[in-house]
Amino acid sequence: MPRESHAGDARFDELIHPSTRLSIVALLASADWIDFAFVRDRLQVSDSALSKQFATLEEAGYITVDRPVSNRRRRVRVHLTDTGRAAFEGHVAALRAVVASAESESATL
Amino acid sequence: MADHVSRADAQHALDDVELRRRQIVAEIDVPTWYWWFLALGWAGLGLVTVAGDPWLSVVATVGFGAIHSALAPRVIDGRHGSKQLAVRGDVVDRHVAGLVVGFLVVLVAITIGIALLADALGAPEPALLASLIVAAIVLIGGPQLMALVRRRAERSARP
Repeated sequence: MPRESHAGDARFDELIHPSTRLSIVALLASADWIDFAFVRDRLQVSDSALSKQFATLEEAGYITVDRPVSNRRRRVRVHLTDTGRAAFEGHVAALRAVVASAESESATL
Repeated sequence: MADHVSRADAQHALDDVELRRRQIVAEIDVPTWYWWFLALGWAGLGLVTVAGDPWLSVVATVGFGAIHSALAPRVIDGRHGSKQLAVRGDVVDRHVAGLVVGFLVVLVAITIGIALLADALGAPEPALLASLIVAAIVLIGGPQLMALVRRRAERSARP
């Protein structure tokens, strides 16, 4: 299970925080589903590296992966689950809180 | 709180989140085939008027309208412009479909206006001339309209 620290709605999520996973989840957060190739091309990572990240996120219940057949080609479609969305939104709120607290500290100095 | 994350790291992560959102916003579009369907249909309706049979024009107009009504709701929301993803509804301006329909209403008005003007000036086949001009406007203006929608979506912050 991902390690988290909480502060109101802000929940820092250790599983999402690594840059590649954060990028994946951030893409998925704005879409109902995304094709594997789209994510790979935008992140400029290899198929195997991306599959590994997907497996980690899927195991945590943050994403689901479907494999529909379209025009005789097997495609891979990835969706963000409600759990994944909640984790992402909490993580973004935590990041904003870090920035905001740093700004308020520097303002008081 | 994430005490081990510096402000710079947090800001960098937030910047990446925004970059990824913009990459999805860039995919907001109406499929290209829709604009071609509209333009060719418009030009086709103009061509039908050359035959001079009002019933043929009525049947062609109703037929085109029926096909358009069946196809348009699936694509004019701007969420399915790419075959590689479906943009979430809350990322796309909920008025996109209304904008496209408004665009069509304006096109109808422009068609009538050009046809009346051409007729008054004594131009041959004023309806055909008007429909061809508007077909060109569709092919140029449709993608421009969606570019405007994308710019608006880029400016809007996530809820």
